[in-house]
Amino acid sequence: MLSIKNLHASVEGEEILKGINLEIKAGEVHAIMGPNGSGKSTLSQVLAGNETFEVTQGEISLNGENLLDLETEERAREGIFLAFQYPVEIPGVSNLQFLRTAVNAMRTHRGEPEMNAAEFMKLAKEVSKQVDLDPAFLKRGVNEGFSGGEKKRNEILQALLLQPKLAILDETDSGLDIDALQVVSKGVNALRAEDRAILMVTHYQRLLNHIVPDHVHVLAGGRIVKSGGRELALELEERGYGWLGVKDEEATPSAAS
Amino acid sequence: MKPAPTISSAFLEPGGHSLPEPLLELRKQRGTALVDMPLPTRKTENWKYSSRHLKLTDELATTLPATGKDGYSLSIPGYRVVFHNGVMIPEASDFPDLDGIRIQRFADLDDDEAAALAERLDNTLDTRAVQMARLNSARFEDGLYIQLDKEAVLDQPLFIVHEVTGTASGSAYPRIYVDAARHSQITVVEEYLSSGEEPVMVDTVTEFVLADGAQVTNVRLVMEGENVQHIGATGVRQAANSRFESHCVGFGGPLRRHDLQVRLEGEGGECKLNGVVVTQGKQHYDNHTSIEHVAAHCDSEETYRNIAADESHAVFNGRIHIHEDAQKSNANMNNKNLLLSTGAEIDTKPELEIYADDVKCAHGATIGQLDRISLFYLVSRGIGRREANTLLTMAFINELVEQIPVQAVKDAAQLRLNEFFDQTFQEA
Repeated sequence: MLSIKNLHASVEGEEILKGINLEIKAGEVHAIMGPNGSGKSTLSQVLAGNETFEVTQGEISLNGENLLDLETEERAREGIFLAFQYPVEIPGVSNLQFLRTAVNAMRTHRGEPEMNAAEFMKLAKEVSKQVDLDPAFLKRGVNEGFSGGEKKRNEILQALLLQPKLAILDETDSGLDIDALQVVSKGVNALRAEDRAILMVTHYQRLLNHIVPDHVHVLAGGRIVKSGGRELALELEERGYGWLGVKDEEATPSAAS
Repeated sequence: MKPAPTISSAFLEPGGHSLPEPLLELRKQRGTALVDMPLPTRKTENWKYSSRHLKLTDELATTLPATGKDGYSLSIPGYRVVFHNGVMIPEASDFPDLDGIRIQRFADLDDDEAAALAERLDNTLDTRAVQMARLNSARFEDGLYIQLDKEAVLDQPLFIVHEVTGTASGSAYPRIYVDAARHSQITVVEEYLSSGEEPVMVDTVTEFVLADGAQVTNVRLVMEGENVQHIGATGVRQAANSRFESHCVGFGGPLRRHDLQVRLEGEGGECKLNGVVVTQGKQHYDNHTSIEHVAAHCDSEETYRNIAADESHAVFNGRIHIHEDAQKSNANMNNKNLLLSTGAEIDTKPELEIYADDVKCAHGATIGQLDRISLFYLVSRGIGRREANTLLTMAFINELVEQIPVQAVKDAAQLRLNEFFDQTFQEA
């Protein structure tokens, strides 16, 4: 489904990604782990099409289509979804209006009729329950005054509404207490499907206790330095990144979780 | 040194419309006083940014003929008074006879009423600061005099539609005077529209006098075309415990200027001034507001938003003057500005003069662009650029649009806003 070949990307002239290769098949869940500053967030932003990052070399394709030729909104319509590490607050745009606009943009792209306000309200309320978000949040400004956990649940709510082909979760576990982590994990697990892939970017392995990945990759210094199965994450938790010859600014990945 | 340019004598010749004698006399006096009136230049502080957009050519001096033959295609859910080229058109107007409320055109006033009005015209305005209102006083051809007896309540908004037709060059000078007695209530909507292509100037003055406990809401929608220079002044005087609300929504043109002057003269008075301005192309819009806290224990709240696209230019100058005796004044002024292109310009200047020591006074002004991260967030959900930019721009003014108390105005403003968004934002 997703194929990344020799991807190089830089921001303000500084190269962050230095040749990433990654293949993700439909139905798979991949986790990318790595110390701070290794390029994890850059990779997710580049996949979503953030123009702050310049792709200098390499290819990304989604189901054979060259992603780098597409604008951010076109990528989203082709099925790329990024759950932000720091979801943006947009006062003055109601969450409901935002979600309906997004869902209808997708529907229009697929040649389906738009949902009217009443139809959408019904759907949004149902999906809100799935992530344990009070429907009252639909009426507020986008993420406006939401707690960290509410913002992350709102991201998963969006993923559930938009039904992407590839969901990229950027540090979705950061800032969550254990209850919120469970709610979010439940939402992500509900996304798992034969025809969908999930890419989780995380510093810590604790999320992987709740969402079990098929493949784990270690990103360091802008390259994937090791790949393995679920056991790699456990090993990282025990031994840190040091044994891979990778410096981590924080003592061990599990220390702060 | 070059002498400052003065107003052309052509502008001091009113048209031939019939008015009661006392008003003709007043107009003549005001005209005489204008001979050699210096025109604003860029050295005139309150016209610093706008004087070069003020083009008083002799062709504009001609009084536009009021034929009353224009469209008036508006469907208005309320009472309606139509002015065409500065003159009221009774056939196009529609309002009932109501107990305690008199809505009369100047031309229909008897000599006593006209004399009483002539005494009062201009008494809400500091005419030194609003030079062009003085020209209106010398040139008005007609006007509307609205009197509310004590406790009279107008049950629906009164729409005053000012339409000018630029089939030939010329000018129009509409005039409104509202006298709201104790505890009376009225909502006055002023809608400024135009048709035709030839250069036209509208120089309009609206005055409100609020007695104790009166409540007046004024909605002003400025939507004239690219051929129209619009210069307006609104003067407000408030007695004790009265409340005045103003909602201005304006779209740009070659020149749009509005001076809004409010005097809080009795304790417990409140005013709320909201403004939304949208400019594009090479348009120019200049709002000058002034709130005088003359009496103690009054509240004022002012919120203005400017949105400037392309190479347009918006100006906001907000003055708050707290007089020495105006203790316990509470004044809040906020002006936020959004630049949608690198070629656009916005100048904002809060001016606070505080002579009392026990007051709460806050002001804030910001100028910014649409937030790139918010935009990325929206488009990353599949929302197109045009729609994403529109959502973010609407978010900037939503709060003010929502507060407009007349749905028909909200709808008309939204339609025009949508055109603006379509013209301003493109898909990637």
